Amino acid sequence: MKPRTWFLLPARTVMLLLFAVPMLIVAAYSLLTRGAYGGQGAPWTLANYARLLDPLYLEILLKSFWIAALATALCLLLGFPLALFIARARTRKTLWLALVTLPFWTSFLVRTYAWMFLLRDTGLINTILLGLGLISEPLPLLYNDAAVVLGLVYGYLPFTVLPIYAVLDRIGPELLEAAEDLGATPAQVVRRIVLPLARPGLLAGAVLVFVPCLGAYLTPDLMGGGKSILIGNVIQNQFTNARDWPFGAALSAVLMVIVMGLLLLVRRKTSEHGGLP
Amino acid sequence: MRRRYFLPLLGGAAASCRRSARRLYVYNWSEYVAPETIPGFEREFHAEVRYAEFESNEELLAKVFAGNSGWDVVFPSHYFIPPMVENGLLAPLDHARLPNLANLALASPPWDPRLAHCAPYMIGAAGILYNPKLMAEPASWNALWDPAVKGRITMLDDPADTLGAALKRASRSLNSTRPAELAHARDELIRQKPLVRAYLNAEARDQVMAGDLMAAHLWTTTSLQAIAEAEHLRFLYPREGFAEYCDCAVILRECRNPELAHDFVNYLLRPEVAARIAQHTATATANAAARRLLPPELRESEALYPSPETAARGEYFATLPAAAQQLRDRVWTEVKAA
Amino acid sequence: MNRALSLYAGLAYLFLHAPLAILAVFSFNSSKYTVWEGASLVWYRALLADTRLLEAALNSLLIGAAATVLATVIGTLAAYALWQRRAPWLEGSLYLSLVTPEVVTGVSLLAFYQWIFRFLDVRLGLHTVIAAHVMFSLAFVMIVVVARLRTIDRTLEEAALDLGASETQTFLRVTLPQLAPAIGTAALLVFAISFDDYVITSLVAGVDSETLPMVIYTMARRGVSPSVNAISTLITLAIGLLTLTAERWRRA
Repeated sequence: MKPRTWFLLPARTVMLLLFAVPMLIVAAYSLLTRGAYGGQGAPWTLANYARLLDPLYLEILLKSFWIAALATALCLLLGFPLALFIARARTRKTLWLALVTLPFWTSFLVRTYAWMFLLRDTGLINTILLGLGLISEPLPLLYNDAAVVLGLVYGYLPFTVLPIYAVLDRIGPELLEAAEDLGATPAQVVRRIVLPLARPGLLAGAVLVFVPCLGAYLTPDLMGGGKSILIGNVIQNQFTNARDWPFGAALSAVLMVIVMGLLLLVRRKTSEHGGLP
Repeated sequence: MRRRYFLPLLGGAAASCRRSARRLYVYNWSEYVAPETIPGFEREFHAEVRYAEFESNEELLAKVFAGNSGWDVVFPSHYFIPPMVENGLLAPLDHARLPNLANLALASPPWDPRLAHCAPYMIGAAGILYNPKLMAEPASWNALWDPAVKGRITMLDDPADTLGAALKRASRSLNSTRPAELAHARDELIRQKPLVRAYLNAEARDQVMAGDLMAAHLWTTTSLQAIAEAEHLRFLYPREGFAEYCDCAVILRECRNPELAHDFVNYLLRPEVAARIAQHTATATANAAARRLLPPELRESEALYPSPETAARGEYFATLPAAAQQLRDRVWTEVKAA
Repeated sequence: MNRALSLYAGLAYLFLHAPLAILAVFSFNSSKYTVWEGASLVWYRALLADTRLLEAALNSLLIGAAATVLATVIGTLAAYALWQRRAPWLEGSLYLSLVTPEVVTGVSLLAFYQWIFRFLDVRLGLHTVIAAHVMFSLAFVMIVVVARLRTIDRTLEEAALDLGASETQTFLRVTLPQLAPAIGTAALLVFAISFDDYVITSLVAGVDSETLPMVIYTMARRGVSPSVNAISTLITLAIGLLTLTAERWRRA
């Protein structure tokens, strides 16, 4: 066996056994009928997919896209300069990088609760603002869509910083110095040299953030106080509270197809510009 | 392998087998035993108990549904007992090994009249926890629909409980499956939504205590924990009616050591053991003999053991048919999406 | 420009760390609630007595370490092979694994495990959690490493091959060193994701395999517990020290 084929073998085994086969099981579930007490069984049916045409679920899907897109845009906007800073730091790169991943080591739930502690009525921010006399009533900072987006951005910001950094780090300082010597302003350097070169990292970061945001359900639950529902919550609810695995499986299948379509589009767009093979 | 290495290894394996034969895997709700409950059993029965906790019935059910979870004794709520029996997940209880079943107040519950599969453990209900300094007594569910409480109340993040509250407010059954009644409940919950700060379960407790909230739709146990820490708070069952449930001990069919599992359930049913648990967790025990051992302030608590006229307004959740569950789930999703 | 960038980075680090710093401060609060009542170590002492929390922390470290090693090795090998040739089915499944909502991944794995357990006498436990973590981490490793490979000059490899190096030698001596930063990044990412995962883990964990996020979830759903603040603070400090030591060791 040639080394390159051998290289693929472990990954292929893992993905076949632990991803493809389980997904086929779920796909089969989406075509089954919910049992009287949960579970699933005969007859085979498309009814679960027909239920998806309900405008209620389409509306929720649209809202989820909007929230995930907003969080992704904010992550890229905030993450790019930070990655640039780390890539251009002369010393202690590892330290700066580690400081990005550090918050990750704490549980996601604790990080969320830390924000809830800051944002609630008797939380730190409202207490300080009230103390300074800047407001007379606590601001409703928690339990709304803005809080959900904040939670998502806080949770996934490192996902954009790391891949963008990995790419930016490859750009030698000589290239930037040469551009500056030739009279380019810093803004021009970033726009004409750094951004185009960072494209693969930016796209990787966008994918890494957009996808988990689209399926998120803990953040809307905790930061949104369960007042707004995203598609991730609907799916999670089918597998838990509603015990309607066939419908949950159908919802997941459709969501996955939509996102796959988007990803293919992104790939096509980048290969047109010669970015990806 | 050389023989002299092999023999001790074999001996070790046999010893570990013997040890695991005295091992019991228990999966229970969080904060549902007293600190000395498990060590006490381990000492007396020379067994090791591996004890873990879950937060919702769904978490438990997702695990045990396919019948190879590794757990021996688990504690589902009563309305999951019929589905679990239906799906062949539960081992029948051997009453000869459970003499302490006689201590139960609920000797013949509607979901399992002969206690063929379950031993009722704790009884709970949902009512209103409120702060009397901030609002008048919410004697009716209407208090949670009053514009004056805008942004200062929470409802439970549980479709059965919260749809149940809206149905009770309209003097309907918790378990209604009638589309018109459910549509009315949905409209009322959507009308209430701008007043609701959030849909929260146990997290609401801290916020009521901190004074962020005037009132919260909450379970009895959680409310009593809040009152134990902040004595000015009050809890009541609204006059239109309220939801009740009962968490039960069951032995799974996959259990590898049914004798030890029966010993464990029987141990939990001992009056003094059950009383310690009830005292520590401030929950209503289903064990009549244990209740008699409780200190008077717990034994006579109106929240834990409602008087007959209050109890008459309570209604147990029922196991609903598939179509009704789908309808109720869609209604709940509409409320959440509004 | 550089000054503005540094200022921005300072603010960004504040955004990332202030909430956790505040959490750490409140882990020393003697009150159980979020009202300051004086400094105390009471929650750290409670931590040492809490065998459940310690056991879960150990499980989490074990799972994280195993998943990181396995996923990084398997993922890097595959990413390198994909640089040379296409493997549409593998690429497709990796993308799909990335876009699958966590709860679906978890439920599908649970269904799968319970199906194979019909034939094997095994139960859910640490091994099922590690396998799940390796699976969902692979795509992350691939993304990071592939992004780096795209910026690598292929002619170096061709030169090495032309000069008579074997494919394995070329990979080990020429390409791997260039990939090192990306592999390090990928390993950090995998550990972070594995250590943090709640949704999938809680579904495929069985007896004796409770992880830290599972315990924290249980505690946190009952109101923020200072014990959780304390253990988070300890984890963050330990990791901080580790990275500092690694940095010093690297420069020495």
